[in-house]
Amino acid sequence: MEHYTMNLTLKVWRQKNTDAQGKFETYPVSGISSEMSFLEMFDVLNERLINEGKEPIAFDHDCREGICGACSMHINGRAHGPWAGTTTCQLHMRAFKDGDTVTVEPWRAGSFPVVKDLTVDRGAFDRIIEAGGYVSVNTGNAQDANNILVPKDKADAAFAAAACIGCGACVAACKNSSAMLFVSAKVSQLALLPQGQPEKKSRALNMIAQMDKEGFGSCTNTGACEAECPKEISLTNIARLNREYIAAGLSYEK
Amino acid sequence: MKWSQFFNTSIGKKLLVGATGLFLCSFVIVHLTGNLSLLKDDGGEAFNIYAAFMSHNPFVQFLAWGLKIIIVLHAILALQLTFRNRAARPVKYAINPGNQTSSWFSRQMAIMGSILLIFILIHLKDFWYLMHYGDLQSVTYGGEEYKNLYSAVYMAFKELWLVVLYVIGMIGLSFHLVHGFKSAFQTFGLNHVKYNGLINFVGVWLFGILIPVGFAIIPVVIYFKSI
Ligand code: HEM
Ligand code: SF4
Ligand code: FES
Repeated sequence: MEHYTMNLTLKVWRQKNTDAQGKFETYPVSGISSEMSFLEMFDVLNERLINEGKEPIAFDHDCREGICGACSMHINGRAHGPWAGTTTCQLHMRAFKDGDTVTVEPWRAGSFPVVKDLTVDRGAFDRIIEAGGYVSVNTGNAQDANNILVPKDKADAAFAAAACIGCGACVAACKNSSAMLFVSAKVSQLALLPQGQPEKKSRALNMIAQMDKEGFGSCTNTGACEAECPKEISLTNIARLNREYIAAGLSYEK
Repeated sequence: MKWSQFFNTSIGKKLLVGATGLFLCSFVIVHLTGNLSLLKDDGGEAFNIYAAFMSHNPFVQFLAWGLKIIIVLHAILALQLTFRNRAARPVKYAINPGNQTSSWFSRQMAIMGSILLIFILIHLKDFWYLMHYGDLQSVTYGGEEYKNLYSAVYMAFKELWLVVLYVIGMIGLSFHLVHGFKSAFQTFGLNHVKYNGLINFVGVWLFGILIPVGFAIIPVVIYFKSI
């Protein structure tokens, strides 16, 4: 890839705190390298704002290598920007060309309140996990490895679901702000494995109940979540979640 | 878990929307096969006998009332979910992805459903009400008297605006089912490479094209016969 530098016009959502009224601010940025990541471009802008004595733009980031799921940004109408299967930190500026206008918004969902600027509170996901995203284990000595047999296809499907990093792009991308892809990944990674069987029914029902309680929308199977998920979690997980719900709902003793 | 709880979650409600939706899909097939007899050149005999059967047979009557309840249930639940989904995003995006991440049809379900609902109400008033409670002339086939719904239908579709309205209604049906048919299977947890292709094919070709076109042809043909 040829290296080039570019000048851009950034329109960024600024919001002092959760209750404040937010609005877009426009920032011209110049001399941006095509080899920078999108977050590095924000670092350059923030350094300038700090030097000018202005408030830097708040945004979430941690690993900057596509595994923590912190870097929530809605870029030109796309969760994590235009590249498929990519987090914002892994999005490179070569996705843009000189003279582009780039609009950056926080995740928009009532269940993800804006904390400041582009930072949102994804605590709702944590509460869904608390409701059932765990397995019971024995205390005492660790068991022999491979004591419990796991078929290869199940292991692979569970592993693919476990790739979910809880970034919230599925909610951000969904026109209903539905958390079904996230919940389906978290239910699937356990429901597929023998270790997940004891809590199988209560898990599905409790996590779905919490998902509803948090105010996420319902699924209309548009597929926008799958299209935007940086870990390419498949819609087949949502089908599995629906099956888990039907099976648990029709047979759960409580 | 009680039934009332089971059907009161987001997924539970979607299961009802899906089940009622698929029931309505089976209904449109039956309805179309019957209605096509309107285009027979027999002066209305086949259609009028069929219409009389449909409005007198007790089992069909039971289904017909069930059908109306199911349409209402489907529409209420689906619209309730739609409003809840809208409310889940109080501050909207300045820029939306449009067709980049989802199909246009999948995002217009409530709009197309509402067009359908309006169409269904007008359609029931036009013909079902007329058949059951209105004044119709009678005809005699083989010594038996029948209400002549056939001639009433032919009269009605002399009006161009009504023909246009029916065509719009069927566009609504088509666009609703292009996504709706396959969506219902996903809602029931049926998603597998083995049969996804077939479900999608049936959804697009049978429910999205063949059936709506079949319905729409009837008023169009009658209109052109009348001019
Ligand atoms: C002949 C009439 C109709 C048929 C055959 C039909 C069929 C369907 C089917 C198969 C689904 C998919 C269910 C699922 O995804 O689980 C659906 C969903 C839906 N229908 Fe209908 N429907 C009809 C009338 C209506 C009416 C009158 C309305 C409302 C005003 C409506 C509104 C909706 C909505 C909002 C959804 C959910 C959208 C989604 O999940 O993406 N439908 N319908
Ligand atoms: S399913 Fe994908 S988009 Fe949703 S939280 Fe997990 S990794 Fe992010
Ligand atoms: S900062 Fe960790 S995924 Fe982007």
